[in-house]
Amino acid sequence: MSEERRIRILYTVGAAAMTAFCLLPVAYMVLVAASRRPDIFSAGAEVRLTAGHFLDVLGTGSLHFPEYVVNGIAISGLSAILAVVLAAPAAYAVTRLDLPGRMSFLFLVLAVSMFPPVSLVSYLFRMMSALGWINTYAALVLPYTAWVLPLSLWILASHFSRIPRDLDRAALLDGCGRLAALRKVMVPVAAPGILSTAILAFIFAFNEFLFALLLTTGRNARTIPVGIALFEGLHGEIPWGMIMAAATLAVVPVVLLVLVFQRGIVAGLTRGAVRE
Amino acid sequence: MRKDHDLRELLKGYAFLAPVCALLLAFVFVPVAGTLLDSVHRDVTFLPRRFIGLGNYRSMGSDPGFWQSLRFTGLFTLVSVPLELALGLAFALFLEHPSSARGFLRAGVLLPWAIPAAVSGRIFELIYNVQYGLANALVTGIGLSEGPVHWLGTSAGAFLALVAADAWKTTPFVAILLLAGLSAIPEDLYRQAEVDRAGPLQRFFRVTLPLLRPVFVVALLFRTIDSLRVFDLVFVLTGGGPGGSTTSLSMYGYRFFVGGDFGYGSAVSVVLFVLAFLFSLLYLRASRFGREIA
Amino acid sequence: MMLTFHGISKTFVSERGEVPAVRGVDLAVREGELFVLLGPSGCGKSTVLSLAAGLLSPSSGEIRLDGELVAAPGKKVFVSPRERNVAMVFQSYALYPHLDVFGNIAFPLRVAKGKEESITAEVARAASMLGIGELLRARPGDLSGGQRQRVAIARAIVRKPRLFLLDEPLSNLDAALRSATRAELKRLQRELAVTTLYVTHDQTEAMTLGDRVALMREGSVLQVGTPRELYETPRSPFAGSFIGPSPMNLLDAVVFEEEGHLHLRIGEERVALSPKKAGEVRRLATGRVRLGLRPERMRISGDPGPPALRGIVVSAEYLGRERLVSVETAAGILTVLTDEVAPNEGDVVGLALPIETACVFRPEEGE
Repeated sequence: MSEERRIRILYTVGAAAMTAFCLLPVAYMVLVAASRRPDIFSAGAEVRLTAGHFLDVLGTGSLHFPEYVVNGIAISGLSAILAVVLAAPAAYAVTRLDLPGRMSFLFLVLAVSMFPPVSLVSYLFRMMSALGWINTYAALVLPYTAWVLPLSLWILASHFSRIPRDLDRAALLDGCGRLAALRKVMVPVAAPGILSTAILAFIFAFNEFLFALLLTTGRNARTIPVGIALFEGLHGEIPWGMIMAAATLAVVPVVLLVLVFQRGIVAGLTRGAVRE
Repeated sequence: MRKDHDLRELLKGYAFLAPVCALLLAFVFVPVAGTLLDSVHRDVTFLPRRFIGLGNYRSMGSDPGFWQSLRFTGLFTLVSVPLELALGLAFALFLEHPSSARGFLRAGVLLPWAIPAAVSGRIFELIYNVQYGLANALVTGIGLSEGPVHWLGTSAGAFLALVAADAWKTTPFVAILLLAGLSAIPEDLYRQAEVDRAGPLQRFFRVTLPLLRPVFVVALLFRTIDSLRVFDLVFVLTGGGPGGSTTSLSMYGYRFFVGGDFGYGSAVSVVLFVLAFLFSLLYLRASRFGREIA
Repeated sequence: MMLTFHGISKTFVSERGEVPAVRGVDLAVREGELFVLLGPSGCGKSTVLSLAAGLLSPSSGEIRLDGELVAAPGKKVFVSPRERNVAMVFQSYALYPHLDVFGNIAFPLRVAKGKEESITAEVARAASMLGIGELLRARPGDLSGGQRQRVAIARAIVRKPRLFLLDEPLSNLDAALRSATRAELKRLQRELAVTTLYVTHDQTEAMTLGDRVALMREGSVLQVGTPRELYETPRSPFAGSFIGPSPMNLLDAVVFEEEGHLHLRIGEERVALSPKKAGEVRRLATGRVRLGLRPERMRISGDPGPPALRGIVVSAEYLGRERLVSVETAAGILTVLTDEVAPNEGDVVGLALPIETACVFRPEEGE
C-alpha cells in the first residue's frame, strides 16, 4: 500500500473518530431525552422512545423553561446587536483614522477579555442591586455587551482593515463625512463579517453562566444555562429524561446557528484570536 | 505644528471610541477596581465594613481550602491544556485535509464549543452517573472494570471526569485556531520539502510544526488562561466536590460571595485575576511576536 | 488660477521618524488645463494630489481653489474634501462593490440628496459620455479593468466638479488599451473643460497629455513647463534623463578659451562652440560642464565629421521601428536611438555628437 494511500486511510479513520468523539455526547443527550427511562444501557432495558419529556419540559409552568429560552434569546440578541453597534465605529476609528494610542487601545481591550468573570461579579452584583436591576434584562445585557466587545472589536477591525482605504477616500470625496462613510460604504461592504461577529457575540452571551447565575433570580431574566444547571427533580430522583429534553431544546438555537453560519463562525474565531 | 483642524479630527476620532470605553469602564474596569477594593476590607453581610489591609490575603495563606483550590486549578490546567492542544492539533490536521465533507465536519466539530458549558456539564454528569451512565456502560462493557466506577464520588475520578468534559468542550476551539495556522502555511513549502525527498512524517516535523509555533503559543496561552478561570463546568459537573477536591479558584471565590463574605471572596478572585493577568501579558507579547513573524 | 499651492510642505510622522514627502512646493494650475505631475515613485506626486483633494492636510503653506483658501495650517483653515467639490479617480478605481454601476455613479448625487429623477438623468448622461450606458445594472466585480475605469471616471464627472484629480489612471491597463484610453482621456478633458491634475510616472503620458507638466523629485518640483519646454530645455540632468524616450547621455567637458572663442574638450575631442552655445556655457560661469546628449539625436556613421567619438558597439537592442545601440567610447558608454543603421555587437563605429542641441549643466547638479 502506498504511503499516500495509507495517509488517506488514516485521515478518514481519524476524521470519523473525531466526529464520533464530538457528536457522541450530543447523541446521548438526545437519546436520553427521547427515552422513557434514562437507564438505556442497563441490562435488559429496551429503548422506548417518547416525546413525553419534551412535552413535560415545555408544559410544566413551574419550570419556566420557555421563559428561560425567551430570556436567553432576547438578552443575547440585544447584547450582540449592541456590541456590534458600539464596536463598528470603534473598529473604524482604529483602522482608518490614525489615532495615536490606537494599538494600546486594542491591546487593552483584548486584555479585558482575559479577566476572570469571578473577579467582576461580586461588584457587579452590588452595582445591579443598587440600581434595582437585579433579575432584569438590563442586569445582563450591559455586562454581556461589555464582555463580548473585545472579541467583536477585534474581528470587526480585522474585517475593516481588509477593505481598501481608497474606498472610504472615494466616499469622502463623494461627499460623505466619516460617519456617513462608515454607514454607507464600510458597513455594507463588511456586512458578512458584521453578521458573523454578531452571531459569535450571540453565542458567547447565550452560553454565559456565572453572571446569569448571580445577577438573576427567577423567570424574569434567568437564562438557559442557569435553568439547566439548577434543574432539580421535584421528588428526589433527578429527572434525567426531562433534563436532557430541556438541554436538547436549549441547544437548538445555537446548533442551528452553527450549522448555518459555520464558515463565518470559524473565520470570526480565527480572526479574533490569530492576528494577521 | 498643531492645527485646529487636526485637533478637531482627533476628537471626532476619539468620539468613535468613547462608547466602547464607557461601557468597558462601567462594567469591567470599575467592577475589577471595586473587587480590588473589597479585597482589602472585611466585608461580611450583617457586619460593618472595615478596612483591614492585607488581612484577607494573610488568612488565605493559612487557609487549606484556598491552597486546595489553587492546587486543583493548577493541576487541572497542567493536565487538560496539553491534552487539548495535542487533540486539537490532531483534529486540525483532520480538518485541513481537503475533503468534500469539510463543511459538515467543521460544523460537527463546532458543536461541543457551541453548547453552553453548563449544559455539557449536565450531559457529562449523566454520562458519569454510577447506575446508568454512558461511561460505566462503556467501561464495564469493554471490560476495563468489573463493577461500576463511582466517577464523581472520588477525587481522582471527579478530576478525570472534569478533564474529559473540558477536553470535549474546548478541543474544537483549539482545533479551529490551529487550523487557521495550518492553512496559513504556504503549499510551496510542502512541495519544496517533497522535492527534497522528505516523507510525510518529516514534512510534519520540519515544515508544519515549526511554522505552527506562533499559533501554537497563542493557543497555549489562551487555553491556559481559560483553564485557570474555569467555573461553569466545575459548578455543574462536580459542584466542587467530593469534599472540595475539585474546587477551582473561581468556584472558591464564588462560594464566599454566596456565603456573604465579599471581602475574602474578592481577595481570592484578585489572586486569580493576577494569575490570569500574568498569563495574558505573556499572551499579548506572544501574539505581537506572532504578528511580526507572519 | 484655478488651483494654487504656495510653499506647501507635508511631513509624515511615523515610527521611523519624520518623512518629508513634499517640500516647499509652489504650483499654479490654470482653469481648464490638463496639468501633469510627473516623477519617479516616491517623489511626492500622489501626496500633492491628496493635498489638493483634502484627504491630507499640509504641514505648512497655503492651498487655494478658485481663489478661495482651502488649506492653511498657519491660519487654521481647512476645508474638508466634500466641501471642496473636487473629484478623484483612484489608481485602484475604488468602486463600491456592493452597488451596481448605476449606484456607483449615482452615489455622490444621492449623498448630496438630489432628486431621484434628476439623478437618473445625470447618471445616464455621464454613462453615455463614457460609453458605458449598457452596463448600468452590472456589478463592479463583473467588469473589466477598462470598464471599471470608465465607471470611476463617470462617477467623478457626474457632479460637475471644479477640479478633477487623476492618480495614475492608465497604469493598471494593459499596454494595448493604454494609448487608446490616453487619447480618450484627452478628448474627454477637452470636452468637459474641467481643470485636471494628472499624476503619472510615465513620461510618455505626461508629454502626450499634458498642457503643462511639473517634474517632481524627492518632494520638490524641479521644473514646470510645456512638454516641449521640458524636452528642449531641461534644467537639470535629472530632468533631461527622465523626459524623453530614452535617458540622456551625460558627458563631462572642460571649458577653455582659444583664439577668443569658447571651446569644449570632451575626451580627446575639441569642439568650437557656436555663439549661442557659448553664451549658454558662459552663463554657467564654470570651468567644467556636463553635456546632455539625447540618444535620439546622436548619429552613428562610419566616418563622422567632428565633433565625434569612436567606440565599439556593446549591445544593439531591436525595438521594431528603431534600435537602441550602446557604444563604449573613451568618454564612457553612450546610447544611441536610431532608425538608420543596424550595427552589430563588436562593430567599431563613430558617433556624431549633436553639440548644438545638447543641454549644458553644471557639473555638481545631481543626476
